[in-house]
Amino acid sequence: MSVPDYMQCAEDHQTVLVVVQPVGIVPEDQFFRIYKRIASVAQVSIRDSQRNLYIRYRHHYLPENNDWGDFQTHRKVVGLICVTTCGSGKEWPQTSERFHGQKEVFGATLYDSRLLVFGLQGEIAEQQRTDVAFYPSYDDCPDVEKKVEDFVESIFIVLESKRLDRATDKSGDKIPLLCVPFEKKDFVGLDTDSRHYKKRCQGRMRKHVGDLCLQAGMLQDALVHYHMAVELLRSVNDFLWLGAALEGLCSASVIFHYPGGTAGKAAGRNPSAAQGQAADAGKRHRPGAQEVLIDPGALTTNGISADTSSEIGRAKNCLSPEDIIEKYKEAISYYGKYKNAGVIELEACVKAVRVLAIQKRAMEASEFLQNAVYINLGQLSEEEKIQRYSILSELYYLIGFHRKSAFFKRVAAMQCVAPTIPEPGWRACYKLLLETLPGYSLSLDPKDFSKGAHRGWAAVQMRLLHELVYASRRMGNPGLSVRHLSFLLQTMLDFLSDQEKKEVTQSLENYTSKCPGGMEVITLPDGLRLHPVPFTKLPIVRSVKLLDLPVSLRPHKQKGLMENSMSTKSPFIYSPIIMHNRGEERNKKIDFQWVQGDVCEVQLMVYNPMPFELRVENMGLLTSGVEFESLPAALSLPAESGLYPVTLVGVPRTAGNITVNGYHTSVFGVTSDCLLDSLTSVRTSGCLVEVIPSLPRLQLSTSLPRSAHPLQPSKEELSSSVSVQLFNGETQQLTITLENIGSEDLETLEITSKISNTKERLFGEFLIRLDFSGGENLLQDLMTVNGISVTGLPISSPLRQVLKPRAETRPPGSESSKTDYNHVKMLEAVMTFKYSGGAGKVEGYYRDLTLGLHVDVEPSVFFTRVSTLPATSTRQCHLLLDVFNSTEHELTVSAQNNQDLVLHASECQRMAIQVDKFDFDTLPQPDQETVRYTSLKLLEEERLHAQASMINSTLGITWDIISFAALINMQARLSSQTSLIMRG
Amino acid sequence: MAVCIAVIAKENYPLYIRSVPTQNELKFHYTVHTSLDVVEEKISAVGKAMADQRELYLGLLYPTEDYKVYGYVTNSKVKFVIVVDSSNTSLRDNEIRSMFRKLHNSFTDVMCNPFYNPGDTIQSKAFDGMVSAMMVQAS
Repeated sequence: MSVPDYMQCAEDHQTVLVVVQPVGIVPEDQFFRIYKRIASVAQVSIRDSQRNLYIRYRHHYLPENNDWGDFQTHRKVVGLICVTTCGSGKEWPQTSERFHGQKEVFGATLYDSRLLVFGLQGEIAEQQRTDVAFYPSYDDCPDVEKKVEDFVESIFIVLESKRLDRATDKSGDKIPLLCVPFEKKDFVGLDTDSRHYKKRCQGRMRKHVGDLCLQAGMLQDALVHYHMAVELLRSVNDFLWLGAALEGLCSASVIFHYPGGTAGKAAGRNPSAAQGQAADAGKRHRPGAQEVLIDPGALTTNGISADTSSEIGRAKNCLSPEDIIEKYKEAISYYGKYKNAGVIELEACVKAVRVLAIQKRAMEASEFLQNAVYINLGQLSEEEKIQRYSILSELYYLIGFHRKSAFFKRVAAMQCVAPTIPEPGWRACYKLLLETLPGYSLSLDPKDFSKGAHRGWAAVQMRLLHELVYASRRMGNPGLSVRHLSFLLQTMLDFLSDQEKKEVTQSLENYTSKCPGGMEVITLPDGLRLHPVPFTKLPIVRSVKLLDLPVSLRPHKQKGLMENSMSTKSPFIYSPIIMHNRGEERNKKIDFQWVQGDVCEVQLMVYNPMPFELRVENMGLLTSGVEFESLPAALSLPAESGLYPVTLVGVPRTAGNITVNGYHTSVFGVTSDCLLDSLTSVRTSGCLVEVIPSLPRLQLSTSLPRSAHPLQPSKEELSSSVSVQLFNGETQQLTITLENIGSEDLETLEITSKISNTKERLFGEFLIRLDFSGGENLLQDLMTVNGISVTGLPISSPLRQVLKPRAETRPPGSESSKTDYNHVKMLEAVMTFKYSGGAGKVEGYYRDLTLGLHVDVEPSVFFTRVSTLPATSTRQCHLLLDVFNSTEHELTVSAQNNQDLVLHASECQRMAIQVDKFDFDTLPQPDQETVRYTSLKLLEEERLHAQASMINSTLGITWDIISFAALINMQARLSSQTSLIMRG
Repeated sequence: MAVCIAVIAKENYPLYIRSVPTQNELKFHYTVHTSLDVVEEKISAVGKAMADQRELYLGLLYPTEDYKVYGYVTNSKVKFVIVVDSSNTSLRDNEIRSMFRKLHNSFTDVMCNPFYNPGDTIQSKAFDGMVSAMMVQAS
């Protein structure tokens, strides 16, 4: 007896063992179909008596174990059912022969046998034989169950007769000594007549009868017999059999106390039988007791009532639940005395544990199991070891020791792939390892780890994950190992040493080179679903911030339409109650817009927790709401980097509300989709932004170089700015080129300008409105002088426009120049190009393009004194001007019909010009339209300006810096101030 | 003296675990981990009887071939596990008890540290030193 049956439980003692075997060639699936049908007959009520017979079916049983049948009768094979295929009559004799051969194997112990023949028809099948049943095919055998029941009944008859036979074997006859295989040689030459020997024979026989009674469904009788056997055997110190008697007593008591059975869900090997038992559990409630109650005469007829005091009462014979364990302990201690009874001891332990599990006495059960671990069964094959460890694990699970269970399961898994095994069962190993996961409180769903810090047995869990990775790799499923390895890296990152981090990532890269990791759910054959593992820690993202478009591309809503689009969430204009709670923060709409078709940016602050450079590839945004084209980026983060800004870009392709849900990365060949919802550590100021329909996009370039120099009062952000340095009165042409680089047609363009930091009034608002059709590049030349004022005229013409507005210049430094000639004046102006087009225009959006203009005005020529002298003609006069050159260059001043005057640096000379007298009243009066719209002060300014222009045109004083002559042509003009003096 | 000393949080994850010889640390992790089954069983068994006044010392949890595992549970369900060598027969139950008491006192000191976050792994040097004193000196 070397192979223990770990599935045994106490109630198996009342079953009779029937072996079902195929004979000849029987297809395996067909055999097991028949086997299942046979095994469904697990309990048979015997006619004419109220007893039940329980049958245990085995399709494989070692004859060696059968030899222990006398010791415990439930180990004895009493029935044999053979299943065979027989095609024709010719094969019949051979088949029959085989059946007889099979019978020989268990010959000594068989009560009865049956042969089920499939496929045979004809005259042989016609004959009526009790031990053979013929069926045309495996599918056509409706009465198999009936046959089996008949067969069981015939077994019962034999069993009953044996029981009566043995029970009535009175001491008059010589009682044979029953013994177990290894005892046989011990009794050679023993005095068979001694009292001691006789008692031993009696005791063993009592125990045997007890077994038979139990099997025959006479529980109370069995108890009585066992009690007697215990007494007898104890007196002769026959420990092995005493143990067996005690165990019998326990089994009978267990059957009495727990009619539901102790096997629980663990009866895996014979599921249908177990189900049958469970279903019938209610029906077979205390069969023995019932029988005794109904038919008390039965006790007297079988002749043992004389010696047993049946009056003692059933309850007294039966052990209490506590006693059952005590007796089991005792029995096991007796078994332990015999090395050869290891299997019996082990099985007894298992049975006891199952009973204790039902009693919920986990501590004692664990002691039994602890003992079972140490039982040495000699050399075990690898498969037996695996079986032993798995069953230990199962039993520990049964008593609620989940960690211990996991431990043994893991040992079993490791045993599956022990180096001594020629063909390691990696698949089995993997499967067992997966089963250990709950025991180590490890879930393979990364979501369970996202909440806060990891709490668990990191060292043990890491080991297990490593084993899973290795097993799945050896199984030839690299996808699985990538998944497990990713999981290991993601969840155990905090516990990995730097060296381990390196190793793990290296092997991950190795695996992914063959099988890239993805985001799909892997479903294992047994239904377990492995969720994808997004690498949210590689790199760690600290914050996500959606960025507004650059100033020049920001869309603005037309004022008039603003009111309509105002959200009417609350009827109150202002309410102190904040409508959003913190949870909604993420879903809060951000108060800027993105534009369809334009590149939008999201800034992430990331850092690399690894001790080496981390290469993140294909990093992009995950969005929902609108069609979004993400433009992935690749980045390389230095080892243990601090926070590192990363900008992810993309282009919304449709309009609507866009939500940034997360980002995707590809690290070490594993692609991951990291959703912000599951990342609690990420700070974000909202992920929802409105995308408005597309707008045209203008690019501005100027003929002058751009300046980084910002305008002084930076009240508003400027798209670009230009700065020039000019002498007072100098004219500089500036060409501004606008190009529509967007995909939408430009439909409207509005140009406005304003001087930002001069207190002087500016003349004539600059306003150009152009209507364009056609998507061609817009090229526009604008001339502006000194950044003061430009009067534009509306021009409407298709395609290329060349616009040359008349420019008027007013030397602005004249007033202050009286006191400080070297004063450098600074002028700033902003030109705004407001444009719109396409679908965005329909929605009422436009864009602003601003150009800052910064002019440093250096003093050039000053008129320090102005006086007039009467000329020869009364219609004319001489104008005397003291001209001062404040520049560092030599220059010439010329006036209309006058010769040039050369002025050296910082030189002052007087020049006289003969001019015609004129009257300002001849100036044209502003028309009614303008008068209505402008203030009086403005009108006065206007008038002065007109007068100045007139003086300017009359005098036509210009100056040139000789050294720059080739480059610049400058014009000096008199101020209106001067002209007033002149008039006076 | 002890070969392994572990402190386990209420939620059954280790706060502190130290063992000699250090090269086979994982083995002790397994030993202590599985011992929790017994600890839980014992707590639940006692819990039914009288929840308030129970003995903190749980006694021998289970013996293995080489080691004996003892357990102790504080009132806040923090568990202490001490593993001693089986061959060390001179060690009496009373000595184990006193070891646990010392451990408990030291743990209380750790908890009193305002900079210690309950639930974090214990990194206190004082605690470490006290544990070292109770450990078998690695030869």
